[in-house]
Amino acid sequence: MAPAVSGSETFPTLIAAIASGDRDAFSRFYDLAAPLAYGLIRRVLRDPEAAAEVLQEVFWQVWKEAAQYDPKRGSPEAWLVMRAKTRAIDRLRSIRRRDRTFVAPVDESLARGEDPPGASAAGMAEDRGLVQGALAQLPEPQRQVIELAFFQGLTQSEIAARLGEPLGTVKTRARLGLERLRGALGGGRMSAT
Amino acid sequence: MTRDEIGDLAAAYALGALEGDERARFEALLRADDADAVAALRDAESTLVDLAAAAPAPPPPGVKAALMDRIAAEPAAARAPAIPPPRRPRRWWPVVLSGAMAAGLAAVVVGWSVSSTYEHRLDALARDAQQLRAELRRQQAIVAILRDPATQVVALAGLPPAPGARARMLWHAQAGGVFVAAGLPAPPPDKTYQLWAIAGNAPVSAGVFSVDAGGTGSLSVAPLPGLSAVDAFAVTLEPAGGRPAPTGEMYLLGKS
Repeated sequence: MAPAVSGSETFPTLIAAIASGDRDAFSRFYDLAAPLAYGLIRRVLRDPEAAAEVLQEVFWQVWKEAAQYDPKRGSPEAWLVMRAKTRAIDRLRSIRRRDRTFVAPVDESLARGEDPPGASAAGMAEDRGLVQGALAQLPEPQRQVIELAFFQGLTQSEIAARLGEPLGTVKTRARLGLERLRGALGGGRMSAT
Repeated sequence: MTRDEIGDLAAAYALGALEGDERARFEALLRADDADAVAALRDAESTLVDLAAAAPAPPPPGVKAALMDRIAAEPAAARAPAIPPPRRPRRWWPVVLSGAMAAGLAAVVVGWSVSSTYEHRLDALARDAQQLRAELRRQQAIVAILRDPATQVVALAGLPPAPGARARMLWHAQAGGVFVAAGLPAPPPDKTYQLWAIAGNAPVSAGVFSVDAGGTGSLSVAPLPGLSAVDAFAVTLEPAGGRPAPTGEMYLLGKS
């Protein structure tokens, strides 16, 4: 249903073309990659308006900073996803800060990342199921750490405080969780060395 | 550092959870092209890409069109002359002193357009005078507020969208206040900065303001009826015209 991110091998070519100011290349890259970025942004930000704004900012960055993409450091998808994650988390933190200032006590359902009522369209619930599916294969403590960091923007020490665990434990869980997740998600990707 | 330690750092870095010294240490490894760090980060990131790719979402309509418009408008915007800064008050007095002479000189140089040149000058002088009167009123308001011991000075610090921004609010519950900000990025054309006075949990709009090319802006704030004690002032970025309650990202915050 959602457009597949296909033809990965053309992504570096597209990024190079975008870096030289090729608008058609940008348009094609957007069509191919926006669903990937938006899925993640939407997972972090429940407010569709904020999510749409972040999506626009992320792709504006792509347009402006394509020349900085360094293939040695990872795939264009990773470059895009990390940007999308950073901007979405920045926005989430900003929203939390605003709500802390303007609305006390903090909206706990937001802090816990619950869906607002009526926000779960069937399609999204289904998509989320896939993510949950992969995450669900992790031991609960590892899943928690990845959820709290990647989708809710907590730092290691915030996670440690929230879970009442030592910082070292949180660190190890993050690494082990990602390693296991790689296996769960197919693990077909090899790091080119 | 062991491979596991580097793995821990890479995982937390990719997840966005690494902070402080550890973050700086890991970024230093990346800058130094440390092979283990680069490989560990690539692995962690590609796993997270797979996680994200498991749940793509169709992007909302309108975003792409807005981007393409922005890109199409870009070269034109780059070529457009910068908005001229407002005339500085210090410029006006030589103009006044030599106004008549300048008009006469203009008559010599451009003989047949004396009257139009002169009118042009007069218009310019009238505009200068108007700006000066406004500036004087603003300064008088600031001085009056500064003289009153009941006046609070609230420093607002920049938040992540503009960490370098800073602002001061001179606030007097009965007289109102003056707000000055510096280091703010120019807002997109459809957005404006909005100042909020927060008492208890309720933000009250203190008005919207624009910033000049140098990132400074100011706002005279009328007394806010019903607000006796203000706990904090904050600035958010809002849709043009402002909003009755904050909806956008917060750029500045200061507790009084």
